[in-house]
Amino acid sequence: MLGFLWARQTGLDSPVQLRRAEATRRVLSLELNKDRDVERMHENGINSLDIEPVESRYMLSGGADGIIVLYDLANLHKSQSYTCKALCKVGKSHPDMHKFSVETVQWYPHDTGIFTSSSFDKTLKIWDTNSLKLAEVFHFDGTVYSHHMSPLATKHSLIAVGTKNPKVQLCDLKSGSSSHILQGHRGEVLAVCWSPRYDYILATASADSKVKLWDVRKASGCLITLDQHNGEKSKASSEAVNTAHNGRVNGLCFTSNGLHLLTVGTDDRMRLWDSSSGENTLVNYGKVCNTSRKGLKFTVSAGCNPEFVFVPYDCTIAVYTIYSGQKISILRGHYNSVDCCVFQPHFQELYSGSKDCNVLAWIPSLREPVLDEDPKKSGHQAHINPAFKDAWSSSEDEG
Amino acid sequence: MDQKLSELVEVLTTSGEPQLNPEKLKELKKICRSSDEHINHVYHLLMTQLNQEHAEIRLSAFQIVTELFARSHLFRTLLISNFQEFLELTVETDHEQPLPPPKEVAQKMKILAIKTVQEWHEKFGEAYKKLSLGYHFLKQNKKIDFQDVRSRTQAERKREEEKQRRLENIYKEKVKKATAEMEDMLEEIQSSLTEMENCFRLLLPDPREFAVFTDEKDFASDMRTKPTSQSPSHSKSTSQSSAYSKSTSQVSFDNDDEQPCCSKNLPPFPSSCTSSASGAERSLGEGAKESDKSARKSDTDDSDGDYEGSREAFLRDHGLGSHAYSLSLEISTDLKVNENENNTDVLNNLMDAHKLLKQKYWPAVQSWIQLFTKAGTNSESLKCAIDVKKEIEAALKKYKEMNIDCHTKERKVMTASDDDDDDDEFEEVPEKEGYEPHIPDHLREEYGLEPSASKQPGKKTEVKRPNVPQVPPSQKRINDELNPTCAAATMKTMKDKMAKALPGSSRNAGEPKSKCPKRETDLSQAPVAPCGLDLHHWGEEQPSAGKMLKFSSLHRFWAPNEVDEEVESKELEALVKTRYVTLPGKFEPVKHKCLAPMPNGSLCERQDRYKCPFHGKIVPRDAIGVPINAEDRAREAREKFEKQGEEQDWRDPELMREIEQATGVDLGSSKCPVKGKGKGVKRNLKKKYPNLTDLKQKANTSRSRLEKKVFNTGSVKRVISAMNQADKRRHEKFANQFNYALN
Repeated sequence: MLGFLWARQTGLDSPVQLRRAEATRRVLSLELNKDRDVERMHENGINSLDIEPVESRYMLSGGADGIIVLYDLANLHKSQSYTCKALCKVGKSHPDMHKFSVETVQWYPHDTGIFTSSSFDKTLKIWDTNSLKLAEVFHFDGTVYSHHMSPLATKHSLIAVGTKNPKVQLCDLKSGSSSHILQGHRGEVLAVCWSPRYDYILATASADSKVKLWDVRKASGCLITLDQHNGEKSKASSEAVNTAHNGRVNGLCFTSNGLHLLTVGTDDRMRLWDSSSGENTLVNYGKVCNTSRKGLKFTVSAGCNPEFVFVPYDCTIAVYTIYSGQKISILRGHYNSVDCCVFQPHFQELYSGSKDCNVLAWIPSLREPVLDEDPKKSGHQAHINPAFKDAWSSSEDEG
Repeated sequence: MDQKLSELVEVLTTSGEPQLNPEKLKELKKICRSSDEHINHVYHLLMTQLNQEHAEIRLSAFQIVTELFARSHLFRTLLISNFQEFLELTVETDHEQPLPPPKEVAQKMKILAIKTVQEWHEKFGEAYKKLSLGYHFLKQNKKIDFQDVRSRTQAERKREEEKQRRLENIYKEKVKKATAEMEDMLEEIQSSLTEMENCFRLLLPDPREFAVFTDEKDFASDMRTKPTSQSPSHSKSTSQSSAYSKSTSQVSFDNDDEQPCCSKNLPPFPSSCTSSASGAERSLGEGAKESDKSARKSDTDDSDGDYEGSREAFLRDHGLGSHAYSLSLEISTDLKVNENENNTDVLNNLMDAHKLLKQKYWPAVQSWIQLFTKAGTNSESLKCAIDVKKEIEAALKKYKEMNIDCHTKERKVMTASDDDDDDDEFEEVPEKEGYEPHIPDHLREEYGLEPSASKQPGKKTEVKRPNVPQVPPSQKRINDELNPTCAAATMKTMKDKMAKALPGSSRNAGEPKSKCPKRETDLSQAPVAPCGLDLHHWGEEQPSAGKMLKFSSLHRFWAPNEVDEEVESKELEALVKTRYVTLPGKFEPVKHKCLAPMPNGSLCERQDRYKCPFHGKIVPRDAIGVPINAEDRAREAREKFEKQGEEQDWRDPELMREIEQATGVDLGSSKCPVKGKGKGVKRNLKKKYPNLTDLKQKANTSRSRLEKKVFNTGSVKRVISAMNQADKRRHEKFANQFNYALN
């Protein structure tokens, strides 16, 4: 750290390098911190989390009980321990509450005044955050697994919606109606994701084990269908043609720069694709345990070197480096399978939601205070936590 | 050190004990204390033990974990980093991973684990976030109630409550019913109780009442002070002469009162001596209640007259030196009520009431009390029921004390003379207690006397009375009443005759049927066999059972003209007229036993007549089972040899053991001689941890036993072949019919 600071001071490094180095260090030291809690609001498992991109301060959570909760993540007190409070919620008393499990929640990318939620009750709802009132409802003829708004687009405001129906629907917020239908999948669409690099590029993942990339301006069909074998084996077996996984594909995530796409499937694999060519980069992540029958929300870090991906792995969260596929660590803390996780890029914090109704905050651990620097302080700290001390009984006999 | 550590953990966890061995645990803790590395090591050892599929191992490992968790911070962090798995293994958070058997131990571990997690949370929850997360997970997601240490599920609790409620309802209903029943019955019970009480009073008047009655008559004033006990001698003396009777009566009265069976030292008054002797009949002890005053008086007057005159002569005649004799009287203390014609109705009534009380009301009251106590409510009715029960018990006791002695025969006779039609009914009267089927002679005499001699209403207590008024010699006087002496003997014979004649005549006069019962019972016992047809038609013309219709043509409707043609069949006739009477010989039980030696060392205990199914023909054998005859011995040896040779041919014990191991079917390899050491080694391997409950041991349930029978290869094969055969038969039968051939 001192070396980086020195290099920065003397102008050897760019400011980005210092930032990267510190961010990486912090991501590597993520742990469950007893000083940070997230208020427990849900009665049932948590399906989706989203942190708004403007300030990275407010977080939405959608639960399997149909409740949407809005948390404030910022610690404005000076004290170390902080519980993220629920500012408001769309709960049982709300007239427009979702009837069934909320699958996806997402902030409007440019403003915190709007957020969207989709649910198994076959609706996509647009909410006004400040008044917490329903602004718009889209109805579909199948349960909605996933929806996504382009984080980038300024020229359109389309929401891609993946439902039980194989056709991907695009809803236009401007007109309040579904404008497009993208045809091509043969199974239910479990995940949709807009590219963070190009306005009109959309990726969709389906239960027919295919992942397709679309340009929504092109009406005739998809751009690329991702093939796990890169076209080599497809001649041999016509059945397995152009499949991305050998099972349902239920998770999609672009890397923060949009150059690559990560997919996870129920074949317990994660794959990294080149999003421009659609090639399988063949990075081996090993087994990524995935038993979810619905969409799985996983996330990548931003501003680190190397970049990391955080994937729910049963009731833990696995951390891999994206490009080398090395497993860095496993975050244990949930007592039931984890469904979603979201990364807060400003403070390098990770939030995860699980079926055990908990939202856990994974906070970078602080640097250990050096003992000889301030012996009094360290002594004081030891005094605070008597539980950390060993309690061997003093007498030799008793042990 | 590591070696030692793993050994210790293994020994501790495989002990199978519900508690850990404290010394070994101490040792383990000492080692763990020495360095963090050991704690790390022990943590991994314990986790592997916790993963074992045996609840006892897990329980012991869990106990070690609790010990170390309380002590070491490092151990705590290690365990909590993997707390999910720990909970899965001990609290059964994952329903797909149930706790291993045995069930009771697993349940115990679960309860213990839940309790421990709570304790840990209280102690360390703040410091270790995952611990508190786990605690809340258990509390909120798994709905474990930490207050309820028994950790029952909600459903269980609910079920129990429901059951309790249902039981209560049932009890309430029952109590309601019982109270209603009790109210109904209470009156009846009371009435029969009063009835009984009245009967008692009639049979045995209350002394108090009696005293009042006598008071009015002619009793001296001093008697009022002690009205409870009436001495006949006293009454006699008072009525006779008040002058000297006062003193004597005082004495005899006292004696009588306090010691009814005593030897009295008589005062020198001859009168008192004689009076007590001659009036022995009336000195009956305190229990004797005479109901007839007048009869008694006349009696006493007579006797008084006797010794008024002969008092002086008495001494002289008998050559007695003094008046001071000790006279001991044996007076039976127990009450006994005898039946006579005057109290028959009362007694009948009493017995009916008694029967009713004993057989109906007493059990009913008993059941009410039981019910009320079980239901735990309704103290009012319970109290009432208990009171009633007490009353009934008192009445029953009184009845028992009365020792009512009457026999149905007597009763029957008396009523038979009243109306003969009821004769049969009396036979059905069950024997009641106190009934004596055989009446001893000396009592019979009394019975015989009663109707003629005594006109006393009410009853008398049993009296051992001397039949002679004269005073016998002193030695004899003592056991006078026991001696059926000269005069008594003649009287007895006469009375016997009378007694016999009386019932006899009444029987003869009544009905000859009265002797019938015996014949009837005999008849009912006699076997009844249907007689043959020929006997049935004895003396008549025999029915034409021997004839049968014969058709020359067997066609159903194309018949010739001459329709009936009866043919006599001799066989049929013989069938009707002959009968077989089987004459089985007498069964002779088999006395001998097979006695062939058996593999377990004992002798065959089978008692077959000629041939034992296991050991062949039965031959005489000696005490150790060797045949006595030489040729039998030779034959046996030969057979044995042949059998062995036969077995040895195909039986390779090694191979058989292998097959047994693979299939689990006992082929009998253990019977074969063991070559080498193989077996012992195997035994040792099998029982690695002898203290643990053997999970593989199959439960010896009726199901498993049946399974063994039903699913053994032989029977399955039999069933299969039988079914195949049935199939085949059907196929053969219908093979050439289109309909059946298809299926």
